[in-house]
Amino acid sequence: MKRYFIIAILTALSLASCHKVEEYANNPRGNFEALWSIIDTHYCFLLDKNLDWNEVHDRYSQRISDNMSQQQLFDLLSEMTAELKDGHTNLSSPFATSYYRKWWSDYPQNYNARLIQQYYFNFNYRSIGAFDYEYLKENIGYIHYSSFESGLGDGNIDLILNYFNKAKALIFDVRDNGGGNLTNVEDLVNRFISQRILAGYIIHKNGPGHNDFDKPFAYYIDPVGGGHLAWEKPVIVLTNRSTFSAANNFVSIMKNLPNVTVIGSTTGGGSGMPFNSELPNGWNIRFSACSILDCNRQSTESGVEPSEGCAVDMDPQAALDGHDTILDFAINYAGNLSI
Amino acid sequence: MKKTAVLAIALIFHCAVIHAQENDEILRPVNSVYTIEAGSSHITDTYLTPIKYSGWHIGLNYERNQAMKFSPENWVMQMRVDLSADHDNNLVGNKDMWYGELDFSWGMMRRWKLPYKGFSAGVGGSASLSGGCIYLDRGGNNPASAKGSVTLNATGYVAWNGRIAGLPVTLRYQPVIPVVGAFFAPDYGELYYEIYLGNHSGLAHCSWWGNYFVMDNALSADLHFGSTSLRLGYTGKIYSTKINHTVTNIFTHAAVVGISGEWISLNPRKGLSKEARIISATY
Repeated sequence: MKRYFIIAILTALSLASCHKVEEYANNPRGNFEALWSIIDTHYCFLLDKNLDWNEVHDRYSQRISDNMSQQQLFDLLSEMTAELKDGHTNLSSPFATSYYRKWWSDYPQNYNARLIQQYYFNFNYRSIGAFDYEYLKENIGYIHYSSFESGLGDGNIDLILNYFNKAKALIFDVRDNGGGNLTNVEDLVNRFISQRILAGYIIHKNGPGHNDFDKPFAYYIDPVGGGHLAWEKPVIVLTNRSTFSAANNFVSIMKNLPNVTVIGSTTGGGSGMPFNSELPNGWNIRFSACSILDCNRQSTESGVEPSEGCAVDMDPQAALDGHDTILDFAINYAGNLSI
Repeated sequence: MKKTAVLAIALIFHCAVIHAQENDEILRPVNSVYTIEAGSSHITDTYLTPIKYSGWHIGLNYERNQAMKFSPENWVMQMRVDLSADHDNNLVGNKDMWYGELDFSWGMMRRWKLPYKGFSAGVGGSASLSGGCIYLDRGGNNPASAKGSVTLNATGYVAWNGRIAGLPVTLRYQPVIPVVGAFFAPDYGELYYEIYLGNHSGLAHCSWWGNYFVMDNALSADLHFGSTSLRLGYTGKIYSTKINHTVTNIFTHAAVVGISGEWISLNPRKGLSKEARIISATY
């Protein structure tokens, strides 16, 4: 009996040891392998993007040499991460940060802040934080929100909505909004709903395999409540390709609300919540690690399309004459709404 | 039925009174130890980064030992509160990692005098509650890794009471190893934001030596200068977990210095009985 007890203890102790973590050398090869492995085991869109990451390894591995400079290594690793075609993927070194820009640079910008400030408001508009707002002459409220990094307190939002209490509709412009905090999305969406809504689903990885995902977790947003103002009149959301990340998430939620119309161009996507990790040389790698789906369980990584019949580009010629054709379309659309 | 219950309660009270009277002659001093520790720290947490961080470790500790009332010769109680902080850097020194932890444990040990002069030993168990957080100063959606556990531990000690160069000394070694329990860990790629939104499934895990191996080693020398003792020692902790394909390794080594002493609570109206017997928990 005593012998079996000792054997059991020894077996348990042999299973119990310090758990190993693979270590990589701080040289070009080690840093390359570390980066490739981080993406291989944590990036959440490898299957969605139909990317053969092993093939990428083989192709770039041949170009690694022991005597390459830091700059050459950075350029090569940046090129490799660009294969992901993801605006949320950045490699940061002490001398540069890599960006994949084609998600917006291959498309018309469709927004010119000065044009609106000058020709629609004659530079007379109110600003607070990342919000610029004023009445359009058609008695429509206009808000441009430039970044979800910067939120407003509930009281501040009350004051803005109260300012527009005589407006017949609200144009909420999130063009060139590159995202920020999802809590700020919730703080805005809850002003446009009268009952709890299904906002979407979060689906995180539960293992290193490309197809290792947990079941989607539904998350909800409740109306603001607490005596704060809610907006019940029509809302038009303006978008362009540079509407990205948290702003993309905002549009994906707003689009499914009954009194909301999305006008402009398809947003830039960026539905993967980014994680950070690092290489042995201290360079930081940011990448999409956890996907957020819309309320129909659809990925919005490649963007959210405008509402049906509302895809509009800015006419560069009209812009020279002081017209934002996306904003004009929205003003006409609001004018035609039966309120 | 009612009568039986009343009789049972009366019997319990009667026994308690007799027990208390028997124990009137035994005094169980409380041994309190206050120490600080300082040393090195090595942390790897693959939820945050696959890179090992190294730096310094400091801690404050309180330990309380007392012979148990029900069998003071044979059983001792030990309570510990440990507060620690670590600061580490990565290999190239361009990022900072902080780790803070608070542990509380309470346990009992059966002790024996060994057949070698001055030697004694004990074996027992304890229950621990601990919580902490590793924070990596870089922002993003995974800047921190929270730690929390409730465990039942095996522990024991070997001690020697004697004299070195004429000075009374107590040397003691005590390891503590959690055997079973539960600990907190998010999923492999799970955001704390998702937990904040209400996804609490799969956060608590049963611990065993295969997924949660922690070992605390404490080596101390108490140098008895009158009623107060100087404690010098070493403490080393191994914390290694693997759950949801995520590994956390925290290794610390530290020198310990502090003071210890024994105190007795006396009733000034009764004074100290001539027959009173003092049973120390540690010496």
